[in-house]
This record gives sequence, C-alpha cells and structure tokens, in this order.
Amino acid sequence: MIPVRYNVRSLAVRKTTTIATAAGIGLVVFVLASSLMLAAGVRKTLGLSGRRDVALVMRKGSDAELGSSIEDPQVGLLGSLSGVRRGPRGALVSGEVIVVAAMEKLGASGVSNVQLRGMTEQSHELRPQFKLVSGRLPRAGADEVLVGQRLRGRFRGLDLDGSFDLRKNRPVKVVGFFSDGGSSYESEVWVDLDVLRTSYRREGFVSSVRVQLESEGKFDGFQALVERDKRLGLQAMREATYFEKQSEGTSLFITVMGSVVSVFFALGAMIGAMITMYAAVASRQREIGTLRALGFSRSAVLGSFLLESVLLATAGGVMGAAASVAMGTVHFSMINYASWSEVVFRFEPTAAILGQSVGFAAVMGLVGGLLPAVRAARIAPAVAMRG
Amino acid sequence: MTAPMINLRQVSKSYDRGGETLKVLQALDFEVASGSFEALMGPSGSGKSTLLNLIAGLDRPTAGTIEVAGTRIDTLGEGALAKWRANTLGFIFQAYNLIPVLTAVENVELPLLLAPVASRERRRRAETALRVVGLEDRSLHYPRQLSGGQEQRVAIARAIVNDPTLLVADEPTGDLDRASADDVLRLLETLNKELKKTIIMVTHDPVAAERATVVRRLDKGSLA
Repeated sequence: MIPVRYNVRSLAVRKTTTIATAAGIGLVVFVLASSLMLAAGVRKTLGLSGRRDVALVMRKGSDAELGSSIEDPQVGLLGSLSGVRRGPRGALVSGEVIVVAAMEKLGASGVSNVQLRGMTEQSHELRPQFKLVSGRLPRAGADEVLVGQRLRGRFRGLDLDGSFDLRKNRPVKVVGFFSDGGSSYESEVWVDLDVLRTSYRREGFVSSVRVQLESEGKFDGFQALVERDKRLGLQAMREATYFEKQSEGTSLFITVMGSVVSVFFALGAMIGAMITMYAAVASRQREIGTLRALGFSRSAVLGSFLLESVLLATAGGVMGAAASVAMGTVHFSMINYASWSEVVFRFEPTAAILGQSVGFAAVMGLVGGLLPAVRAARIAPAVAMRG
Repeated sequence: MTAPMINLRQVSKSYDRGGETLKVLQALDFEVASGSFEALMGPSGSGKSTLLNLIAGLDRPTAGTIEVAGTRIDTLGEGALAKWRANTLGFIFQAYNLIPVLTAVENVELPLLLAPVASRERRRRAETALRVVGLEDRSLHYPRQLSGGQEQRVAIARAIVNDPTLLVADEPTGDLDRASADDVLRLLETLNKELKKTIIMVTHDPVAAERATVVRRLDKGSLA
C-alpha cells in the first residue's frame, strides 16, 4: 500500500488549496451540524417539558392548549377520578389558562408572541424541576408575574421589577425569574390564574388541566375514564406525548431545511474537492507513473487518491464540526407553530450529530475524489520515463 | 551457456498517431546476457526509450515475444506485470523521480512496501541501501535538500533495495554535471561488478557508455 504519510504530506505541501477546499467542506458541515443541533435542541427543550406520569386533559379535538377550553366544574371532576395522586391539599390537579400576548422585542424591531400561563398553587408541584433563580414567588391574587429565564432581556418590561401591561391599563410587575430544567416553560410568563382570567375575561374556564397520576402505569386507565364519558367531551394524553407532538413538526422542519440546504452546499463543496483533486493528479503525473513503475497496482493508486480526498474532506469536516460546537452557547428564538408563541431554543451539540456531520464530510470526499482517483489510476507507468 | 537475462524475438512496436502508423521498432531480436552492463545508444527517435520501456514491462509490443529474467512478460496481465516489476526490476530515471514529500529513506523504502517486510526490517534495509550509495547521513533529508547527484544516488538506492535481478536506467546522468555523473557511473559499475547486477542503460553520453561492458547502437528501430 502507498503510505498514508505520502497523502498527508502532499496535502500539507499544497497548503492554500488544501485549506480553501477543506474550508468549503467545513462550511457545509457547519450548516448541517448546526441545523441538526437546532432540531435536537427543539426536541430536547420540548421533550423536557413533558412528563409521562402527568396527564394533560384538553377539549376533544384540540391540538394545543391554546385552543382548548374546559369548564371549572370539570376540573373538580377530573380530580375525583381514580389513579390521581392526592397530596395534603387534595388531588394534584391544576387547571391552567393559556393566552398569548404580543410583546415588544428588545434588540430587534417589532413584536412577538409570548405565552402567558395562569397558574394555581398546585401548578408548581406538577413541575418538580421548577426552581426560582432570582427574585421571589408572586403573592396569590397579586398583579405579579414570574418570568421564565430564557425570556430575560428579550422583551421590554421582562426584567426584575420591570412591568408590562397584561391588558390595557392592567400592569403587572415581574417579581422573579424561574428555571425548569431547560424545558419550554422557561419561555413562558407565569401569572396568577385569577389575575389572568379576569384580565382576559376567561372566568369559569381553563385551557387545560394537568393531572398528576399515581404512576406512569395509571395513564391508560385514567384516559379510558376521561374519554368514556362522551358528555365531558375531553381527551387525555400524557404530557410528554403532547410536547413530543409539538416538537415533531418544528424539528422535522429544521432538519429538512438544514439537510436540503446542506445537500446543495455539499454539491458545490464536492465539485471544489473534485477540482482540487484533479489538479493534484495533474501535477503529480510523474510521481504516479513512478509509483506504478515501481510496482504499485492501479488499485493502490486509486485507493491512495481516494484516501487523500477523504482525508482532505474529513479535515474540513472536523473544522466545521468544531465551529458548530461553538453554536452550543447561542440561544435561538423562534415561533413554536403549535402554540404560536416564541420559544427560545439552544443548539444542542451531541456526539452523534458531530459524528454524522464528519461522516457526511468523509462521504463528500469519497464522492468528490472518485473521478480524479480513477484518472490517477489510469496513468500509465511509462509516464515515469518521460523527462 | 546460461539463458540470457533479456531475450526479445521479432519484436515490433508501432504507435497510432492521428490515423498514421508510426513504426518505432521492427522485427527486432535483442539479447542481453546475465551479469552484463550494456549501454544503449542512438539518436533521438531511434527507439531506444521504447525498447527500454518494453524490457521494463512499462509498455507492450505490437508483435514478438519478450522474456526477461526467465518470464514471458508480453503475455502478463496488468496486475501480474506490476508485481513482476516490483520483484524483478530496479528503475533509475533521468529526472530521479523521487517522491518530493518523502524523505530519502522513505523513498528508498517504497519498493519494500510491496513485499511482506516488517517496518523495522524495511527501515534497516533502506538504510543499508543508502550506505551502499554513500548517503547514510542524508537519510532524513527531503529530495529538495539534496543535490542532483545525491538525488540520483538515492534513486539508485531505491532501485537496489529489493535486490532486483535487472537494473533499468534511462539516461541516468542526463541531468547531472560531470563530477556527479562520474559518481553515479562508478556506482553502477560497482553494482555490476560486485553485486552482479545486470544493467541496461539508455544514454546519449559517450563517457557514460564507455563504462558499460557492451555498447549497442539503435537506429531507426534496428540495431546498427
């Protein structure tokens, strides 16, 4: 076999072309890895939001909490069903109201939707990851709100002790920021249920009901009880399933967009790699002829040039993947189409995504290097003799 | 009488050049005895390089048979021919043809990569070959760090490292000054006399040809 150092050093000798070609491939890998990381970030953020032992009950036919409404008496009824965990204050059931408010963005022009959630005292117990990161909890019934930490500094008024109008002439004050283990709740504003209902004229109704089950296994029985009574007109699903469904569309959209863009970029980068390798073969004809004269087979030459191309592309891939890791520190806000409100995501670098992206680069090198390598293998050994 | 090292019978070689047939060699009979050092001379276009390429298995005859070191090479397939070259021949080129990105010792090691030789043994043999050509202290130099004469001596070390039966040299002194050319020719003489290598050398240089034991002249595709 022709030694690998022959290829490595040949690449090193042509520094400028090698770096330019590798950078092109690196850029493709950067785009691909970043979009896969963003899709993973969406799945993770929304995936972290849901639990398997919590049932989410909504109006039958509703795809999202926003479009659902349930009358107050039904909330009490749900708490009385079997399989529901009970705490010192009774059944762990939380009827919550979801509304969307347009708020003025900071650092960018225009407004964007922010999801407001009307909470009960039980609400925090259903979210064990909830943590107050600064300030204090709002007092019951007061015009005070808690803000998810990912919204901090993104909208006017969403600062500690800042205020914004819940409704015209109904200001509320931000008294604290909370975290929830990286879930999408961190992109919400939490308001006292009654405050929100009176402001939005939603008295007597909630959007959805969260029910803490005794265990994961109790869900099927609970769902059957809820859905059997047609008069209720309700549906139950695991909270985790609800968020998975929400993330599906968005993450698929990002993955498809990222992949399509990457494929087009990749075509360009592959042509770049091909031109580089053709130039390498042309300038090394006598070397190749010599190797053939010495007794190296056509397939050894083919393999050597393919390897060189793959090495070149992989080096670019590693650069691109390394650069994409830096995206892990970037927060990215976008509209979650299921709730029509802005959710802040992080790029989520995983070993699998980085591995896939570098692998994609290697494949680009293999495909781009194929024709030049075939040309190299066809060089006759007699070329070595020409002066 | 021992069998000749090189035995060409009725060998012709012609090329197709834009619809015209260019006859380079015509019904040539050519023998080189084992252990001899032969120089092949002749004007440009006389067919000497074509003849050397045929002997070295780098090209195929249009007609005739070629036997080198006991093997009929005109009937060998591409792969078998490459293997045969690796085992039987040592090449010395006019332009040295060292691989610029490999050091002297790595260049010399190249032919051994085609044989089942462990890496340590490969390095040892390559260093021995460099000692034979007097360049053991240049083993880690790259070709660009060597003079032309030194490059050609590294190329000779590469040609002998796998202990070939036949050395094929194409204008080995063509790119060298007189002093370096003399060094190289002396080395070839030593390889012929002491290591009993059969050498066939194409050259334009009458001084170089004088070192050979036999000088053949080729003109218009036939031996003069």
